[in-house]
Amino acid sequence: MSTDHGTPSDSRGVESRDDGAELDAAARLRLIDEQQRRARSGLDPDSRLLYGAWGVAWLAGYLAMWFTSRDGSDPAAWAGWTLAGLIVAAMVLTMVHSIGRSRGTRGVSSRTGAMYGWGWFLGFVTMWAVLNGMIRAGLTDGAVIAVAANGIACLIVGLMYLGGGMVFQDTGLYVLGVWMLLTAAVATLVGLPGTNLVMALMGGGGFLVAGAVTAVVVHPRRQAGAHA
Amino acid sequence: MPEESLDTVIHAPARLRIVATLATLGPGDEIAFPRLRALLDMTAGNLSTHLRKLEDAGYVAVTKTHEGRTPVTYLKLTDSGRAAFRAYQAALADLLKGAGT
Repeated sequence: MSTDHGTPSDSRGVESRDDGAELDAAARLRLIDEQQRRARSGLDPDSRLLYGAWGVAWLAGYLAMWFTSRDGSDPAAWAGWTLAGLIVAAMVLTMVHSIGRSRGTRGVSSRTGAMYGWGWFLGFVTMWAVLNGMIRAGLTDGAVIAVAANGIACLIVGLMYLGGGMVFQDTGLYVLGVWMLLTAAVATLVGLPGTNLVMALMGGGGFLVAGAVTAVVVHPRRQAGAHA
Repeated sequence: MPEESLDTVIHAPARLRIVATLATLGPGDEIAFPRLRALLDMTAGNLSTHLRKLEDAGYVAVTKTHEGRTPVTYLKLTDSGRAAFRAYQAALADLLKGAGT
């Protein structure tokens, strides 16, 4: 971090070349690479971290739900609180991390990111209203409400990732969206108590695989920059 | 390709780092001065000096605005700045190729 290239010598004029004359072309290309790598890791959200957090939240939370209801009974209260707590924690982490990375920037990208973020919020608020309406309309069976809630939530996740994949031109995100739609379908069709196990393994597992693929394949490539 | 053909405005390593950083942003994006300073690890005075030269050359656009009562300066690469950076990178690649043969 001690690279002080900003020597005062070049404040004498644009044509002053002495401050960098010792750097050859290869060193200059390396300088560009290093700086762009540093800029990207400071500005772009770390997908590995976010996928990992959501993967752990879904895997541990839904496993707890499944584990305490696998004999056909209702899930234990502690399992419900664990799932809710982990989801809220992952949500807070995602918001704090993403907003922090885009801090001090404005324009098309931050506007797009904000619209995408609000999309999630609007989707889940609407889901809450839809479920409430179903309950008001006479839906009382807790098992049906649980299956519907998980299915709709997972559908929103899948569709938002499809949208994200399109907007950010991120094929990996789009593939994850397709996987989440598949998870929504299977989790709903299987029914309780299997729903929770499907959400844990396919949903949580899907996030963790996405995080691992990003860490091993996508991240090093993206960090290396556009020009190979 | 002789080294003299390299863009002298971008050639100073400090300005090269500034332009490289701004080039990672999208064409429609701007970055606030303190954020840019942190990404570059330069002093504010030093960064200002170099930004003025880049602005004089038409490579960087400076927007001064207010957020609440706080004055904020946003920086972005202009189209010609982006083109100059691309040309500079291509020139470096050519130099490297020339040296290899």
